[in-house]
Amino acid sequence: MSRDVPRETARLTAAFAAISLVLGGLAARAEDGDLVARGAYLATAAGCADCHTDAKNGGRPYAGGRALTTPFGTFYAPNITPDMVTGIGQWSDVQFLNALREGVRPDGSNFFPVFPYPSFTKITDGDVRAIKAYLFAQPAVRQANRAHDVAFPFSWRFLLSGWKVLFFNPGPFRPAPDRGETYNRGAYLVTALAHCGECHTPRNWFGAMEPSRFLAGTPHGPDGKAVPNITPNQETGIGKWSDDDIEALLKDGQTPDFDFVGGAMAEVVKNTARLTDADRRAIAAFLRSVTAVPSSR
Amino acid sequence: MKSSTKRSMLAAALICASAAISGAALAQDKETIAKNRETLMKGQGKDLGSIKAYIDGKGDQAQAEAGAIGLTQSTRKIPDAFPPGSGGPSPDGKFAAKPGIWNDWNKFIDVQKNAVSKADVLLAAVKSGNKATIETAFSDLGKNGCGACHETFREKLQD
Repeated sequence: MSRDVPRETARLTAAFAAISLVLGGLAARAEDGDLVARGAYLATAAGCADCHTDAKNGGRPYAGGRALTTPFGTFYAPNITPDMVTGIGQWSDVQFLNALREGVRPDGSNFFPVFPYPSFTKITDGDVRAIKAYLFAQPAVRQANRAHDVAFPFSWRFLLSGWKVLFFNPGPFRPAPDRGETYNRGAYLVTALAHCGECHTPRNWFGAMEPSRFLAGTPHGPDGKAVPNITPNQETGIGKWSDDDIEALLKDGQTPDFDFVGGAMAEVVKNTARLTDADRRAIAAFLRSVTAVPSSR
Repeated sequence: MKSSTKRSMLAAALICASAAISGAALAQDKETIAKNRETLMKGQGKDLGSIKAYIDGKGDQAQAEAGAIGLTQSTRKIPDAFPPGSGGPSPDGKFAAKPGIWNDWNKFIDVQKNAVSKADVLLAAVKSGNKATIETAFSDLGKNGCGACHETFREKLQD
C-alpha cells in the first residue's frame, strides 16, 4: 500500500489554511473588539449619548430626538444608531470622518454647529474610527429624525457655508511641544473630545464661541441656563480650586463646598466619572493652565 | 351715608386688609422656608466636609461620625423642607426649586428615600473606620443621592 503523499499534504495544507483562517478571523474580531472598547471609552468622554438619547422621554440609546433649545431655535439630535434607514448605518468611514471633523453631512450640506464639530475637528483619525466602530456595534433603532425648529434665516442651511468660512477652524489637535504629556492629554480631552468649551465658552451673535473668552462661562448657555466660568480666574472662575477639587467634581460632581452639581453638568459627571484617574488629572492640569478670564455679566 | 353701606365698606376694607396681611405672612413664610431649606442643605455640606476630612486624614473619626449622624437625620427632613407652594429661588438667588418637586412628588420622595438609605450606609461605613468603604459610600451619597436630586429638581439660576 503506497501512501498517497500529495493528497495527505493537500489535506494538511487545507487544514492549516482553515485553522489560520479561523485564527486570523478571531484575531481580526479581537482587534475589532479592542476598537469597539476603545470607542466606548471615547464616546463616553465625548458624551455622545447625552445629546443623542431622548432619555427624558424614555428614548432608546443613540436614537436621537432629544431637544436642545438655543437662541436660534430648538434642535433635535439625530439618530446615530447603525439603522440603515433612519440612522447612520450606511455611512462610510470617510463620511463619518467628514461629519465629525468637517461638519459636512453625507449629502454635502453642512451640519448646524449645535453639533460640536468646531471641537470634534481636533479628534484624531484613530479616535474617530474607534468611535464609529463603537456606534456601529450598538443596536440599530428605527426612529425617524425630527426636523429642527429653527427660525428663518438660521434655518437656511446653505448660509452655514458662510458661517464656516468666518468661524470654523478645521484642523487636527496640535500638542504643545513645550508642555508635558499630562497637559496635552488634558488639552485634547477638554478642547476636542469632551468639548467643554461648547457650553462653558460664551458665544457671539452668530452662535460661534468667542476664543478670547474660552471657558469663561455664560449666563445664556444651552436651554437658557447659566454656565459657570471654569478658567482659573480667582474671583469668578475656579482659581481657588486645587487639582483635587477639580478631580472630585469630575468624579463625583462634588464642589469644594460639598455641594453636588445638578442640571446638565450632572449628566456630564456621569461620563467623567467613568474616565480614568489619569484622564481626570489631565483635565484638571489643563484647566488650571488656561488663561484666567473674569466672567462677564 | 346709609349705615348698611358704611358697614359693607368697612367689611370690604377689612377683607382687603386681612388679605394684605395674610399675603405678607405667606411671603414671610416662603422666605423663612427658603432660608431654612438653605440652612439644611448647607449643614449637609458641612457634615459631608467632616467626613471628607477624615477620609483625607485631616479630621478625626468622632467628628466624621457626628457628621454622618447629622446626614441620616437631615436627609429624613427633606420632605418637610419643601412644603407645597414653596418653589422659587434660594435666598442667595443662585438656585431654584423646580416645580417638578410638587408635580412629581412621588418621584421626589423616591430620590429622597434613596438619599436616606445611602446616608445610613455612610454612617455604618464611618463607624467601621474602613476608609475605602467610607470613600465609596461618600461618593455614592453625594453623586447618586444629593446629585440625583439636584439633577432633576434643582435649577441653576446663576453661577
